[in-house]
Amino acid sequence: MANQSGSVYGLTLLSPILDDERAVPSHDLQIRKYLATLPTGVDSPFAIAPGTHLARLVVMDDVIYVGMPACEEHLKSKYLIFESNCDGDLDKYLTGLATKIPEHLDAIWSHCTGYPGASDVPAFLRYMKACQIETTFFFAAVNDKSVTDTLIALQTQRAVADFIATHQGMDAAQTQREFIEFIRILKAAPPPPPGVMGAHRDIKTGGRNE
Amino acid sequence: MSKLNATDIQGFVLRGYNMPYARYCFLHFEDAERACSLIHRLLPVITTGQRWDQGKPQSTVNIAFTHQGLISLELPIATLISFPVEFQQGMQERGGILGDTGVNSAEHWDQVWREGHVHAWLGIHALSPEALDARTTEMQTLMTETGGARLLASQDATAIVMDGKVTLKEHFGFTDGFGNPDYLGVCRSTQPGQGKLMPDGTWAPLATGELLLGYADEAGELPVAPVPHLLASNGTFMVYRKLHQNVGTFRHFLDKWGARYGAGDEFAREKLASKFIGRWRDGTPVDLSPDRPNSDIAQDPNQSTNFTYGNDAAGTRCPIGAHIRRVNPRDAFGFQGRLINRRRITRRGLPYGPFALEDNASAAQGPSELDATDRGVIFMVLNASISRQFEFVQQQWIAYGNDAHLGNEKDLLMGSHSEGEKYCIQGDTSPANPPFFCTGLPNFVELRGGEYFFLPSITALGMIAMDLVDPR
Repeated sequence: MANQSGSVYGLTLLSPILDDERAVPSHDLQIRKYLATLPTGVDSPFAIAPGTHLARLVVMDDVIYVGMPACEEHLKSKYLIFESNCDGDLDKYLTGLATKIPEHLDAIWSHCTGYPGASDVPAFLRYMKACQIETTFFFAAVNDKSVTDTLIALQTQRAVADFIATHQGMDAAQTQREFIEFIRILKAAPPPPPGVMGAHRDIKTGGRNE
Repeated sequence: MSKLNATDIQGFVLRGYNMPYARYCFLHFEDAERACSLIHRLLPVITTGQRWDQGKPQSTVNIAFTHQGLISLELPIATLISFPVEFQQGMQERGGILGDTGVNSAEHWDQVWREGHVHAWLGIHALSPEALDARTTEMQTLMTETGGARLLASQDATAIVMDGKVTLKEHFGFTDGFGNPDYLGVCRSTQPGQGKLMPDGTWAPLATGELLLGYADEAGELPVAPVPHLLASNGTFMVYRKLHQNVGTFRHFLDKWGARYGAGDEFAREKLASKFIGRWRDGTPVDLSPDRPNSDIAQDPNQSTNFTYGNDAAGTRCPIGAHIRRVNPRDAFGFQGRLINRRRITRRGLPYGPFALEDNASAAQGPSELDATDRGVIFMVLNASISRQFEFVQQQWIAYGNDAHLGNEKDLLMGSHSEGEKYCIQGDTSPANPPFFCTGLPNFVELRGGEYFFLPSITALGMIAMDLVDPR
């Protein structure tokens, strides 16, 4: 099944944006504005709602035919594209979004045709699935682990590196004692919340350099 | 590929002069007409890429311009705005992308670079101090006679002399300047390991357009270049960076971690140093000789740059984060090395400041005193696209580690480090080659200023001098 890669689900939605010439600013611009101000890191809606490996929200105005001879063609509507690589079951994932971040969903999708709101979860699920198209490509960095397993693995990697850095050269018996204690604490540690693992990068990214 | 017209290309682009003395003069143009008359007088003096069949000259002269310089030369606006954005902005404004923050930010730069008044770089290289001074006097006379430029500052750079012999050493004690990419038409003979890796494991020169404007690059396209074509063709872009080296910090760091690495003896300290760079201090590539330096390899052009990382994916010979592996990953990212062919840079440069021997006298000085001495390297890059080549290497491979699967880690030597960063040396089960972490990374290198320059062809210099730049 094209939407499933191991335990990871590839969700792709195309939601038609309301076309209302009386709306000022237009609905697509209002979505753009909201998306541009969405927080990242721990406050990102996709860190608050469970199960997202990677998500993208894009406003597609139109398609442009690139080729020879030139040909003019247009979409019937502007679309909001939502792509997400998420854990497992689609109903469970969408329900998680609807219950954890309804205000964000409503702020974005209320500019789309036929959106019922996130408070009516069964209607929300029907709407999102009606907008769904088939996913064929997944984000390359997503493996077959759940978000939680990935976060635990990163936490373990970092903790073990720190342990080695502080214990290299230490007497073997003492290292073993401290390692046993270290493992006990590490195993008991809660998984880190999504969006906290990356160190701060004081460097600009994007643009033509990446 | 037709033969390049070497007499139309500045010699500094086509070859490293390998001269031990240099003086880089930074000029400010007061008046466009007078500046053009200075450039006109310089035309017959500028060193071209013509072969030196009669032996090396005593000295050479080359020139390059900042965007501000081209504005003050009153080039047409349609030409000025056709230069790549990063060149128009200049190095200081690109600080965010380059990671020139903290101690590397512009507020810590030499005054001449903070003010942004540099219009031109006049590079003089010489075989002797006398020839350097004579050529400098000649240049000053031209400036005075034409009134074309004011000298804002100059930077001397000199090869390090050891036991009376001119060396290729830099201040951390490593032999430098081994490899530069080979380009089609530029090199008379190619050296294995210097061009691009081919599917059969051999090396071939890179497309000319990776270095020179006006020729096809590795994508088969002409590089982004200003108009008119004639102004850009046979020219290139130059990055100038003055990199201060904290010699005391480097030696102290080596002492501290060398004592804990392997046997903890003097050899372990040297081996650790080799694991930082990817070359032993004499230049032997660690990947070819992981256990000891080998001058037979270091001095053999068929070996010194002729290696790949494909059989060392785990980094047990050359660590994945070693400096030379980061900045020229060869085949380390797979796809037979094809991912890096558009990210290569040609390097020029010389050390500046006095060399401190690793002897008792230096040890008595203490790290902070050694750090305080004004010394480092004048690092210059030549490339067709500053953003695609130099800036990419700096941003992605020095200030970030994702391509090398090193997450947020930065280059040990060049990175602007923050707390909690580590340097990981991959190892194996041999006691002489243990896996090892260094923590508490200091800044070994600090940026003291620099700028982006356009290094035009001889034809383009003539067009500028004679007010013939016409973008229509």
